[in-house]
Amino acid sequence: MTPQKSPQFLSTTVAAVRELMVKRLDSVPPGGESRREMEMALEELDAMWEELQGQAALLVRENRRYAEFFEYSPDAYLITDAGGNIREVNQAALELLRSPRDELVGRPLSERVAAEDRAQFLARAVNPMLGAGGEPASWRARLAAAQGAALDCELSVRAIPLKKSGVGGLCWLVRRG
Amino acid sequence: MAQQPVDLKSVWLGLKAEVDELAAERRHYLDFFESASEAYVVTDLAGIIGEANGAAVDLLQRRKRELRGASLAVAVTLDHRPEFRRWLASLAGDALHVLRTVALAGGERIELELAARLIGTPPGAGGISWRLRAAP
Repeated sequence: MTPQKSPQFLSTTVAAVRELMVKRLDSVPPGGESRREMEMALEELDAMWEELQGQAALLVRENRRYAEFFEYSPDAYLITDAGGNIREVNQAALELLRSPRDELVGRPLSERVAAEDRAQFLARAVNPMLGAGGEPASWRARLAAAQGAALDCELSVRAIPLKKSGVGGLCWLVRRG
Repeated sequence: MAQQPVDLKSVWLGLKAEVDELAAERRHYLDFFESASEAYVVTDLAGIIGEANGAAVDLLQRRKRELRGASLAVAVTLDHRPEFRRWLASLAGDALHVLRTVALAGGERIELELAARLIGTPPGAGGISWRLRAAP
């Protein structure tokens, strides 16, 4: 789900619920208790909808702001899932690795780590996945950029809930040097 | 008529799933920003702070609510502000810009490295993302 889609979905959903209630209301004879109750329920639904719409718009704006910060962060970040596959990569990381997004997303991040550094890379990924706290430690490794170029980098990693499911993933900060 | 309660339920379940996903997305990006070890700030193009993470609060030694709505320039010492403002006004394109300046944190002058990147398309449409780091 993209943040931009959500208010539209909410609008469609509430409109569908309202339509169902209006249909049922039409089948209830006028003047009765049931009809008055349904009319009041419709009023309440409209009020709740206005409130929900306001909250959803606020949430979406906030999500968009944070998502934009991730994308345009001054530092290179990649997000991987529990299997080590890249889920998200920001602009700075694309520039650092000199690769288009579709060559990275869905691929194991370990593929980009030099063979001699891979064991350490995998070992470092274990602690945050197991919930070990503390400051993320950083270490050096060589990463492969486009056209086989090797980059000396400093990496650090911490746990992060993944975007859609909220299950545990890893957030990798990568710097040249 | 008998199908209506089922339809209603499926519609609301769909809504709940979407809201849950939206909430998970919020947790994801909020955690990314707030729990970062680096000090990050988001401002508009004029340098007015919209968000500052915990590391930025620690570095600048100011409360988050004091930072929100304040100009980032106020963190820079008076004698370095003109240079900071000129540099801020000159930011353009999608490259990373870096300035070394002096800031006031808890009454102490500290050497500060500011790294800035314009957010959005066109660059700057979403403001500026900043990394603040005490320079060695």
